[in-house]
Amino acid sequence: MTQADSTPEPADVTADDGADDGDLLVREGDIAGDYLERLLDIADVDGDIDMDVEDDRAVVAVVGEGLDALVGPHGQVLDALQELTRLAVVQQTGVRSRLMLDVGGWRARRKAELTATGTRAAEKVLATGEPVQLAPMTPFERKVVHDAVAAVDGVTSESEGVQPERRVVVLPAPGAPSAG
Amino acid sequence: MIEAAVEHLVRGIVDNPDDVTVDLVTGRRGRTLEVRVHPDDLGKVIGRAGRTAKALRTVTTAIGGRGIRVDVVDTDEVR
Repeated sequence: MTQADSTPEPADVTADDGADDGDLLVREGDIAGDYLERLLDIADVDGDIDMDVEDDRAVVAVVGEGLDALVGPHGQVLDALQELTRLAVVQQTGVRSRLMLDVGGWRARRKAELTATGTRAAEKVLATGEPVQLAPMTPFERKVVHDAVAAVDGVTSESEGVQPERRVVVLPAPGAPSAG
Repeated sequence: MIEAAVEHLVRGIVDNPDDVTVDLVTGRRGRTLEVRVHPDDLGKVIGRAGRTAKALRTVTTAIGGRGIRVDVVDTDEVR
């Protein structure tokens, strides 16, 4: 399951302290990098692999040109690759992985678009006082939108509906002065 | 190439990587990748609600092109 990313993880499942967590995340990145690098070799796809740790999760990015096939429509291939990569990591570490995979900068671009969408919706709600319902999104996408809305005073956001139709609704914050 | 790619993807997620074989079979219904794993690893390759098998199919189509089926063959069954 790609858990709702808004759900806080239990901070400590197996590791004793923060240093161990960091080591584990670096190791996750290494395992994922090896798994993906070999795949690129076999498939004869050019791409470099960047590894990082952000917000307590390993982030692995395949960067380069001509990676569209590995992203796929709506990032479907990217999501499938991320799923397999997480499984490959768990196979070695024995610990559930929240590793994030990006290919060709797709997630980074998508995140910027979603942040803009959230901000625009928040501004519209402030201007009109009326709720705004957004398109259905994945848990990760909704998290990005919720974060963007949370950065704006006077509005709040909720998710409603059931996957895959679950969507963000932006509302005037309770107690906020309504628009005239 | 696509056999090797899928073989690599599967080997990375099972307990018995040496028992993984992938064969490309061409039949009347087109090309099929037959994936065989250790019986204990079947669940891992299929995944909850077929999620892992679906991910394998999605990546296979992306790399190998449309029209390649992926079958996880249950070697426990007498055929």
